[in-house]
Amino acid sequence: MWKVALKGIVARKGRLFLTSLAVILGTSFLSGTQIFSDTLNRTFDTLFAEVFADVNAYVRSSNVIETDFGAEERTLLPASIAEDVAKVEGVQSAIPQVQAYARIIGKDGEAIGSEGNGPPTFGAVMTENDVFWELLDGRAPANDTEVALDESSADAANYVVGDTVRISAKAGTRDFKLVGIAKYGGVSSPGGATFALFDLQTATEFLGTPGFIDAVLVVGDGSLSDRELADKITASLSSYKEIETLTGDEITKETQDQIGAVLDFFSIFLRIFAFIALGVATFVIYNVFSITAAQRMRESALLRAIGASRKQVTRALLIESAAVGLIGSAFGIVAGIGLSRGLKAMLQAFGVDLPSRGLVITGSAIVTTLVVGMIVTLIAGVFPARSAGKVPPIAAMRDSVSEVVTSRKSRFVFTVLCFVIGGASVIAVFAGAAAGILGLGVVAIFMGVLAIGPVTARPLAMLIGAPIQRLRGVTGTMARENAARNPKRTARTAAPVLIGVALVTAVTVLAASLRTEIRNLIGEQFKGDYAISVQTQGFGGLSPTLVDEVAKLSSVEQATSIGFATVKIADKGRFASVINPVTAAGLIDLEMIKGAQADLDADGVLVSEGQSEKLAVDIGDTVEAMLTDGSELELTVRGIFDNGTFTTGGFVVNRELFADRPTSQFDFAIYIVKKDGVSDESARAELGALVEQSGVGKLASRSEYIDDQAGQVNQLLGLVYGLLALSVIIAVVGIVITLLLSVFERRRELGLLRAVGMSRSQVRSSIRWESVITSLIGAVSGVILGIALGWVIVRALDDEGLKSYTLPIGGTIGILILSFMIGVIAAIYPARRATRMNVLESLSAS
Amino acid sequence: MTNLQTPPLDVAARAEGARKTYGKGENTVHALDGVTVDFKVGEFAAIMGPSGSGKSTLMHCLAGLDSLTEGRVIIDGTDLTGLSDKSLTTLRRDEIGFIFQAYNLVPTLTAEENIRLPLLLANRKGDEAWINRVIDAVGLRDRLHHKPSELSGGQQQRVAVARALASQPKIIFADEPTGNLDSRSGSEVLRFMRKVVDELDQTIVMVTHDPVAAAIADRIVFLADGKIVDEMRSPTAEKVLDRMKQFGN
Ligand SMILES: Nc1ncnc2c1ncn2[C@@H]1O[C@H](COP(=O)(O)OP(=O)(O)OP(=O)(O)O)[C@@H](O)[C@H]1O
Ligand SMILES: [Mg+2]
Repeated sequence: MWKVALKGIVARKGRLFLTSLAVILGTSFLSGTQIFSDTLNRTFDTLFAEVFADVNAYVRSSNVIETDFGAEERTLLPASIAEDVAKVEGVQSAIPQVQAYARIIGKDGEAIGSEGNGPPTFGAVMTENDVFWELLDGRAPANDTEVALDESSADAANYVVGDTVRISAKAGTRDFKLVGIAKYGGVSSPGGATFALFDLQTATEFLGTPGFIDAVLVVGDGSLSDRELADKITASLSSYKEIETLTGDEITKETQDQIGAVLDFFSIFLRIFAFIALGVATFVIYNVFSITAAQRMRESALLRAIGASRKQVTRALLIESAAVGLIGSAFGIVAGIGLSRGLKAMLQAFGVDLPSRGLVITGSAIVTTLVVGMIVTLIAGVFPARSAGKVPPIAAMRDSVSEVVTSRKSRFVFTVLCFVIGGASVIAVFAGAAAGILGLGVVAIFMGVLAIGPVTARPLAMLIGAPIQRLRGVTGTMARENAARNPKRTARTAAPVLIGVALVTAVTVLAASLRTEIRNLIGEQFKGDYAISVQTQGFGGLSPTLVDEVAKLSSVEQATSIGFATVKIADKGRFASVINPVTAAGLIDLEMIKGAQADLDADGVLVSEGQSEKLAVDIGDTVEAMLTDGSELELTVRGIFDNGTFTTGGFVVNRELFADRPTSQFDFAIYIVKKDGVSDESARAELGALVEQSGVGKLASRSEYIDDQAGQVNQLLGLVYGLLALSVIIAVVGIVITLLLSVFERRRELGLLRAVGMSRSQVRSSIRWESVITSLIGAVSGVILGIALGWVIVRALDDEGLKSYTLPIGGTIGILILSFMIGVIAAIYPARRATRMNVLESLSAS
Repeated sequence: MTNLQTPPLDVAARAEGARKTYGKGENTVHALDGVTVDFKVGEFAAIMGPSGSGKSTLMHCLAGLDSLTEGRVIIDGTDLTGLSDKSLTTLRRDEIGFIFQAYNLVPTLTAEENIRLPLLLANRKGDEAWINRVIDAVGLRDRLHHKPSELSGGQQQRVAVARALASQPKIIFADEPTGNLDSRSGSEVLRFMRKVVDELDQTIVMVTHDPVAAAIADRIVFLADGKIVDEMRSPTAEKVLDRMKQFGN
């Protein structure tokens, strides 16, 4: 049977190529994401290893507040500690470190680097003979009027030594003289981050808290091992509380791991889409195998007639599948290399700029891809191979290749079962079960829809084809009939479109609902005329001094800011919203359920309804809290507000809580009411000038601000669309392959049609419409499924404050139009092939 | 289209010095080796000859399905040489009817749709009275909405004949139209073809191996090795059989 199988492979190169194509596409995303994350990991690992190469020990506070996604905020150290470290025996130099938010403003007044979802923008210390920074031009900054920049930022903004550079940080916005341009451990910018570098004094005052530093870098004199040095330093610093000293290797490893955790999160995100693509590809592979197995039914029957056993026929086909899987996956790895670059470019287009040095293709990436590719292909090949084995020898005498839809009843039973499981898990999640169950339910519903596909394909084809038939006459009739003639095949071809469209629709629904939610929330909670805002809500933002400047403007009646700070509340790190209850009156409305917003005092806290239930606290109760400077205190609950405000963390504290503390805290929005009688133009002019001077932040009217905030959802939506695009491409390729095989199968019929006078354009038209009908069968079912799925997800997120289910009519129509286009595009090549066939050769084909 | 020697008006199809070669060098096959023949309007002609003598090739070239290596074909005053695929397609659709030995019908279309196919493709209404006459003549009135798979072989061939007639083409080519039928359905189809020629002045050129079938024609053209070797007018089955036996020798 090996011989027969191998002959089969060689004899059908064309089909082998088509089948492999599906495998290649499916596995390429898998290997692409893996190569991408391996490369990224390696890049950062090498980077940090190089950067910390000269560091022997690292002194920092042991007091840390960890928040979600591996983010952490560590207590600062008094600057004087550096001198004490320097005195320790074995220490050659002790370099104080300060690293905090800072944005470099370009010559055009726009801040460099992306806001919110790009690499961070830092300010840091640079000394002469710096461990991290290597000067390329000029010298290190020496006083509070000087700055140095990382090479890639300087390049991006066209700054040269001698220029004046405006920089915005915690203490406000100032102009500096550029005195140096530097490289970081061999790269022009670490991880794409931007760096503004200052002398120590300036860094602590401008970026952080005067008199405090983040950590001390220690370079030893070589007399001690790193471990001994670290221990010695810790011992000598016993007068300081909560201090730890890491060895160079430890801090390297920790930094690598921290970045690795973020990257892992990111790769999982990518891999979800890779597996979706693989699932879609599996369907295409299954479809191709089924069609070719049906087309080869006569050959299989002949083998049976001359004495091959069922098993042997099945095995021959399985061997073929395995070969296709192997070859396809091997090419998939190669295609993945290209794709990993594509991924990088795509992320870059969405503002996520990642560095990469070289290409890392690990053995595990290769093995995983090969194994997964083989398994998927074999799974896709099992059913067609088994049905080929079941072909009775007598079929050798027949010439029909149509596959009949068998066991309608069991299909119905299976579908109903799937729907019951799906429905039950949806209800369970609504009733409060874990969200993971929803995934199970969704998969069940998908399986149910796919199982019933062969039964519904014919009626759907007739329905969707009806207007086409009316419009296109006999070519339309043929398109409709061809789409309906082999319902199993049509259903399998439409399935990948269905999956893709359902996911795209669900995501579109979710995004539309989010946008509505954001509009409603901001509409209700923000009452001002203007807002100045930044997109970031995690790191940096507007200097907390900006709101005071705004308030002083002559056209401004009232201005208040909303910011965030890392606070440990009830043993968990949280992003708490920070407001000034005095200036916020009438400008921010938190929709209190109990208590009043104005009651929020310096050591009070407002808690969301959800958090109050989780922590079982009510007005007057206290919660334990710790600030990033290590101070522990008790906050009194002064009020409970409605869930789902834009204070995502569920806690609101008073700005005064941080007064005179060495903690970092920024604003992300300033809300403004203009004075009565001041014209919109003059208010805008005055505010605009201030914003421009500050370099960060965007001035918007109330309605513009609401639009902007709602529009932020689109960026993520774009990224998800981009990642789903590959699945859609695979679905298109699936249609192309099916059409090619169908054209090949119907070549005699096509020859006849051409002989009796069907023109080439009529042939093209009939194949095009068949393709459109097939695509729309998937799209219509997919849209319905997607809308339902979107609704379920929105409902399930109700607790998280998502209450506005919105059906994006325009988006849905857009998806249907796109599916129509997919049908048209997928038909181009098969139609060309069909018209190129020689009429006489087709007629004599067997 | 300018024709240097326009054939007389009563010629429906003409081949002039038709040559068709396949392959190269030693493998060269002269499927047609200088065939010149006229088919007159209202004539029922049969082409006979041993297997491989070039009958199908001649017919395909006459019907614009294939092109000659040398020589020319004129259908109803139009020289097919050098016509674009588009014009050839239109010509086949509007001026020529074709009946193959088997697989004549589009499986997804009903009998009626198959009959009207050339008209539907041309987006023409056609002559309704004529189509009805054709449908009645082939005796398919009660089978119009059936798919080909629901028809017998003879019925399918009759649908094919009806299709060839429906668009009132100048000439119909039939390549062994009864080859796959039993003698009863075969003679049914043949009698119908004869009737069409007699009553409607239709021109039919038919390839056949069957002397009985050939005897129904007005004239028989004998081909051998790509050349016309004989002609017979007012044939009978016996005469044809006799002539055929000579080929055997
Ligand atoms: N596509 C082709 N390539 C090469 N040779 C061909 C081709 N088509 C036909 N021939 C050759 O041309 C010659 C004439 O073929 P044709 O089909 O016209 O014969 P025929 O008279 O119709 O025979 P039959 O009675 O068996 O149908 C034969 O020798 C055949 O082998
Ligand atoms: Mg022949």
